Amino acid sequence: MESILDAIFPIGPQFFVGVIVAVIVIHLVLATVGILVYFERKISAYIQDRIGPNRVGFDLGLPLLQKLFRGFGFWGLGQSLADGLKFILKEDYRPPQTDKILFSLAPMLSVIPALIGWAVIPWGGVIAIDPIVIGGREFVSGGDAVVGAAAVDIGFIFLLAVAALSVYGMTLGGWASNNKYSFLGGLRASAGMISYEIPMGLCILVVVLTAGTVGPNAIVEAQVAGSGVWFIVAHPLAALLFYACTLAEGNRAPFDNAECEQELVGGWHTEYSSMRFALFFLAEYAHLITGSAFFVLLFLGGYHLPFVPGLQPEDTGLLAALLKFTVFFGKVIFMIVLAMFIRWTIPRLRYDQMMKLCWNAMIPLSIALLVAVATVKFLRIDSVVVFILVNLVLTGAGMVLFPKLPVANVNKRIPLAGSRFSPIPGHAVQTAPSGSIARSESPVPEHSSGIISAH
Amino acid sequence: MPIAENDIKRISRPALNAMENAYVPSIVKGFGTTVRHFFTSFGQSKLPVVGKRKTTQALQYPEERKEHTAPDARGMQVSNFRGVHRLNRDEEGRVKCVACMMCPTICPANCIHIEAGESPWDDREKYPVKFEIDELRCIFCGMCEEACPVDAIELTPEYDITGYSRQEMVFDKNKLLHVYDVTIDKKPM
Repeated sequence: MESILDAIFPIGPQFFVGVIVAVIVIHLVLATVGILVYFERKISAYIQDRIGPNRVGFDLGLPLLQKLFRGFGFWGLGQSLADGLKFILKEDYRPPQTDKILFSLAPMLSVIPALIGWAVIPWGGVIAIDPIVIGGREFVSGGDAVVGAAAVDIGFIFLLAVAALSVYGMTLGGWASNNKYSFLGGLRASAGMISYEIPMGLCILVVVLTAGTVGPNAIVEAQVAGSGVWFIVAHPLAALLFYACTLAEGNRAPFDNAECEQELVGGWHTEYSSMRFALFFLAEYAHLITGSAFFVLLFLGGYHLPFVPGLQPEDTGLLAALLKFTVFFGKVIFMIVLAMFIRWTIPRLRYDQMMKLCWNAMIPLSIALLVAVATVKFLRIDSVVVFILVNLVLTGAGMVLFPKLPVANVNKRIPLAGSRFSPIPGHAVQTAPSGSIARSESPVPEHSSGIISAH
Repeated sequence: MPIAENDIKRISRPALNAMENAYVPSIVKGFGTTVRHFFTSFGQSKLPVVGKRKTTQALQYPEERKEHTAPDARGMQVSNFRGVHRLNRDEEGRVKCVACMMCPTICPANCIHIEAGESPWDDREKYPVKFEIDELRCIFCGMCEEACPVDAIELTPEYDITGYSRQEMVFDKNKLLHVYDVTIDKKPM
């Protein structure tokens, strides 16, 4: 017995902190999803000059609670709870001729990567743990630990890899549904993911080059100590490109082509209902949180606020960790609200526009930015001013150059000579079905001459 | 007549300038509009007032209703509203209808069904033994009201009628007379 205890204890400080943070964060974030749904509906309503949900309180229809709350609606805060209850109670329908295993697996596959992604985010910087000794036995050894589920030194590479996995859920869901719309939605999701991974990775490389590290916590410290400013100041262009990529990766407007209602009914989750759909829904918001946390980490200084004592990297107490956690989470919520505002500002891009924006604009720009930053680093003239200059010059160059590029003639109707839309003069054009009963050959009228111009 | 070439005015889409082509300035401008609408609507909720202009026109329906507002303030003209039908009663409380079949004839939705019988009263020859209106078929055009020679059928300002089945929404004579009893204060004859 003693030897087993000796073998297990003392556990390392990182493991101890990691378990606690993982438990707290997963509950906090899942609860936040519920509140975010309410926020999204309320913000959408206000932006569209509506009122939004304001009736569903917490009385659950019970007379006792109704009497207790006296009809108070809690500003509609119970709406998410009611939605969740509805999802659980709905019929869990699986259409026939679907792939049974993949159909059930797809929602899980889209939720799990979104939940794993939070593991490497250092929510509260570094905390110093005192040894915990109970009854003469040291259970937790003392030392520094990152306030995150795991202190992974290659955090960003892990985060990128895991975030890219989530598209499997969408693609599999689309494929398993045995539905053309779902399939197209899944294809769009994977195509979008492949395209937008590139500028996203390049923007991360820009930050990694500037900071000289890939550790999540080290990058926050680099933003505080090294150059002294958040990377959104040093690299505004990279921040903009990265934010657009996180929106695209999380399937948020204006890049939510995979669930484009006008074209694809519901996209990859057309055939899903009940809790399976709720999981997709959860994954979408979880991704939004992960993407925003990612952005906060890279560009908004993580838990750091300038000039506020207690939020600097050298503060490692418990209170400082809690404060840092709060600040980090506040920044994440701010970024999410920003994404909600953007949803109602920018209309959804057409699919070819979305691809064009990525391949013709964002990838060249981010490659140019990466090369410029690498050159600056190589010449050892890296300072914040130089970085800002590089970003501004590239932004200006993009604004001047991109309109001058030749416009690809995509998405225009191509005239097919001899069809009834572009007839050849003098030739008969068949306008009716060629069945033996209904056959009518009509010559081309005099006034329509030549090929009808495209578009 | 075919469209001649010189009748057609061809216009091309105006070219975007550099600022518009760069997306971001236009997006920021649009973002301003979004934020303005958010705060003006937000200010009208019960929370601290931020905006001044009234943008939200939504009613808190069961408590606030159109008929509570004046017609010139986006309210409802109660006397003119075409809602659910009623069968008017005369001074003695009898049904006013004389079963002349004008309303089922004019009805464009074919929702009125009348079975006439010999009147038990001296002042008219016929009266409706059965009078049914399918409120789900009705398009509330008010033609029956126009056609009625004795002002027996009228549309009332009641619009929130519900039922558990389609059959329940076929209003018979008793129900239509009951609607009269309920709405006579709201809309005098």
